[in-house]
Amino acid sequence: MSAVQRNNVTVHGDAAARPMLFAHGFGCDQAMWRFVWPEFADEYRIVLFDHVGYGGSDASAFDKRKYSTLDGYTQDVLEICGELDLRDVVYVGHSVSAMIGALAATRQPDRFARLVLVGPSPRYLDDDGGYVGGFSREDIDGLLESLESNYLGWSSAMAPVIMGNPDRPELGTELTNSFCRTDPEIAATFARATFLSDNREDLRRVPTPSLVLQCSDDAIAPVAVGEYVHEQLPDSRYVLLDATGHCPNLSAPEATVAAIREFLTG
Amino acid sequence: MTGPDGLLDESAEDLFESAPCGYLTTALDGTILRVNRTFEELTGHARGDLVGTRRFQDLLTGGGRIYHETHYAPLLRMQGSVRAIAIDLLRADGTRLPALVNAVVRRDADGAPRAIRTTVFDATDRRRYEQELVSARGREQEVALELQRSLLAGTLAEGEAFDLGVAYRPGVKGLEVGGDWYDAFWLEPEERVGVVVGDVVGRGLGAAATMGQLRSAVRALASTGFEPGALLEALSEFSRRYEVGQMATVAYAEVDVRLQTMRYACAGHPPPVVLEADGGASYAWEGRSPPLDAHMHWTDRPEAALQLSPGATLVLYTDGLIERSDRPLRTGLDELLANVDRLREVAPEMLATTLADEVAHPDDVCVLALRLAA
Repeated sequence: MSAVQRNNVTVHGDAAARPMLFAHGFGCDQAMWRFVWPEFADEYRIVLFDHVGYGGSDASAFDKRKYSTLDGYTQDVLEICGELDLRDVVYVGHSVSAMIGALAATRQPDRFARLVLVGPSPRYLDDDGGYVGGFSREDIDGLLESLESNYLGWSSAMAPVIMGNPDRPELGTELTNSFCRTDPEIAATFARATFLSDNREDLRRVPTPSLVLQCSDDAIAPVAVGEYVHEQLPDSRYVLLDATGHCPNLSAPEATVAAIREFLTG
Repeated sequence: MTGPDGLLDESAEDLFESAPCGYLTTALDGTILRVNRTFEELTGHARGDLVGTRRFQDLLTGGGRIYHETHYAPLLRMQGSVRAIAIDLLRADGTRLPALVNAVVRRDADGAPRAIRTTVFDATDRRRYEQELVSARGREQEVALELQRSLLAGTLAEGEAFDLGVAYRPGVKGLEVGGDWYDAFWLEPEERVGVVVGDVVGRGLGAAATMGQLRSAVRALASTGFEPGALLEALSEFSRRYEVGQMATVAYAEVDVRLQTMRYACAGHPPPVVLEADGGASYAWEGRSPPLDAHMHWTDRPEAALQLSPGATLVLYTDGLIERSDRPLRTGLDELLANVDRLREVAPEMLATTLADEVAHPDDVCVLALRLAA
């Protein structure tokens, strides 16, 4: 199976233009970028995808071992770049996919020209050494419980329809909550990979010029964490957006677009 | 407004305050603007402590806040509403209120989002029951896995004249184990070995138990001298008579390790692969009949014979190895031949493991590889 099919890759804009690759974070799917990518479609070749188990991806490609660490997701990003022969990539990653992009750029530095890290965090748990990630192990267990009690349109009756027709999303359009519809087991695996990861050591190895886009009031990636990421990255710019929540791409798309544009042209 | 009986207060104010659910209005950033009396009663928070100072997400547990930021809030932004989200609210006394929550974004005349209206239903009992169901399912899954493991853990035949490898990978489709099995046993010590791979319809505890019965039945029938075609016929009769394992598929082969010949038969099962030491891999397409007790008048189950060469490898497997919804079966069959051929240099154990691990397996996968001494 090709990575393009597996990850439901969608491409817009001029094939000869510089590629801009958008990666959604833990929770929903590529629709998270719907207010952002069209703003860049005139200048860039837009590439969007879904992580395995989300959106229109092929959930049958889910492999618990592969996807239990961020390496599995990083591998997928690199495979997508390889198959589409993307070079000089502007990578825009939200939440955990910010770290996934940083890992991908460290593995294949030549492929990536710029990284835009929206709400990044290299470590979500607090530790004894004084690092404040914002969460305790108990919080993560609570999240796993929430995932288990929120099937979001996923039941054994619907699963075959959804899983068997990744290329026919219209079958699921009448379902509410469909943007964040996932097999609870896949969601739990991604949640563990995300919230129990520790990539603090990886930051200083990232060779790519990066933009840290931080929201002023973000419960998932607090300001102190964004500042930490900025300090650790060898070559980064830091922009604090006046936005509440973890998803400025949805709650403050204009400011998000402006900050990215400024970074790319400035 | 007072109703005809002079008692009922149907004013908008009372409809809001005494609604049979907690009701709150928040700003887009979650800041609480208004709550009703039912919400105060459900949570123990007085409105004076909430309005203008707390946000909806401040009333959630740590895990609930992550869920809010990663699922709830994005959904609300993207589709303008969320429905029946299970989330725990923290009461004023620190205890949890398991709740089901609906929310809609309210827009002004120009269509710009202005506020969020949220209703909160007490789901304590419902959640408890769900948790009981989830843990019951988890237990059944564990028991089925354990049963399946113990059934597959029995000793397999070993000998100087051949090398055997097996692999079993539970599927990721759904949460229950399937009913695939493999087996290898001596029919005549150091002379003839029986190998089998089968696949029972269904999943879970029932499928694991059925698998155990068919596995034992095959051993019992083989030990009394049934040859492949007749063995499958007798197994089908067993299936029909005791209503166990109907529509199960089985590939059974009897390998003479001294003469290096095999006789085999398949009941509705994908064909065995034969890899010659000095030739290519091919399917053994003969000896075919329908699945066990397939409600067809089928008295004669054919078998076929093959001369093998020294060092030849026989591979039996279940359909999880070749079937995928996104491509024709033919592609899966061709791919398997190519993979077996590619792995000709590796030992059977590694061959079986590699084949099983290389496929993305939504379904269970079972592989048995037997290689004759060169």
